Amino acid sequence: MEVQLKLYGSSKILSDKEILNIKLPSNSNIETLRDVLSKIISKKYLKNSLQNLSRTAAFFSEEDEIVNDDYKLKNKELISIIPPIGGG
Amino acid sequence: MALHTAIVKTEEEKISSEKAKNFILSEENGAESIFVGRVRNENNGKKVTAVTYDVHDKAVIKSFQSICIDAKSKFDNNANIFLEHAKGYVSVGEISILIAVSSGHRDEAFKICRFILEEIKHKSPIWKKEHYTEGNEQWLPGHSLRPKEEIK
Repeated sequence: MEVQLKLYGSSKILSDKEILNIKLPSNSNIETLRDVLSKIISKKYLKNSLQNLSRTAAFFSEEDEIVNDDYKLKNKELISIIPPIGGG
Repeated sequence: MALHTAIVKTEEEKISSEKAKNFILSEENGAESIFVGRVRNENNGKKVTAVTYDVHDKAVIKSFQSICIDAKSKFDNNANIFLEHAKGYVSVGEISILIAVSSGHRDEAFKICRFILEEIKHKSPIWKKEHYTEGNEQWLPGHSLRPKEEIK
């Protein structure tokens, strides 16, 4: 299965595009997405600039609500990654 | 009473304090408090030239509305509130956020202004990327929205 990860804030370092397609094992949840994201960050040698992102980010569903780690992802679902915020 | 919240795309327009002052004006409210946040030319010893603000538009507007309604119910239901935040590239000296409040009395006006600013920092999905004189740039660390019980 695959999810579309909409990038915000520091996570934009991961790609030049707004959305990153991520392949996941079937029946994945947010926890699996965190693990896969952590591997992508390591592979791209971005551990220094995106330190802890996979652990500290929240994720929004298509309804713009925070989803917990046990949230079951659907194939082709659009998920937003919400790195730690700091506006104002 | 009146409430205005918006995200202002900096390539299209600038945040206007005149617009804010006109919006909150009311004969019933004798106190006005206006907070203007501007991009500073220094942070942690680094010389800053600009900040790019990234925003999750829908979630930010939702959070702005919720924060303002909360502020009114806590301090003064008759307050008028104007809140705008920039999205995009903002040069040093330009406005990144403007909060304008009119209320019956000064204490409530100050408190509402401060409350809104602090709540935004902890609830609204907005991110800052600083640009430095050396030509490099950096996303700034912030406050995690991940449910606390899940962070190991």
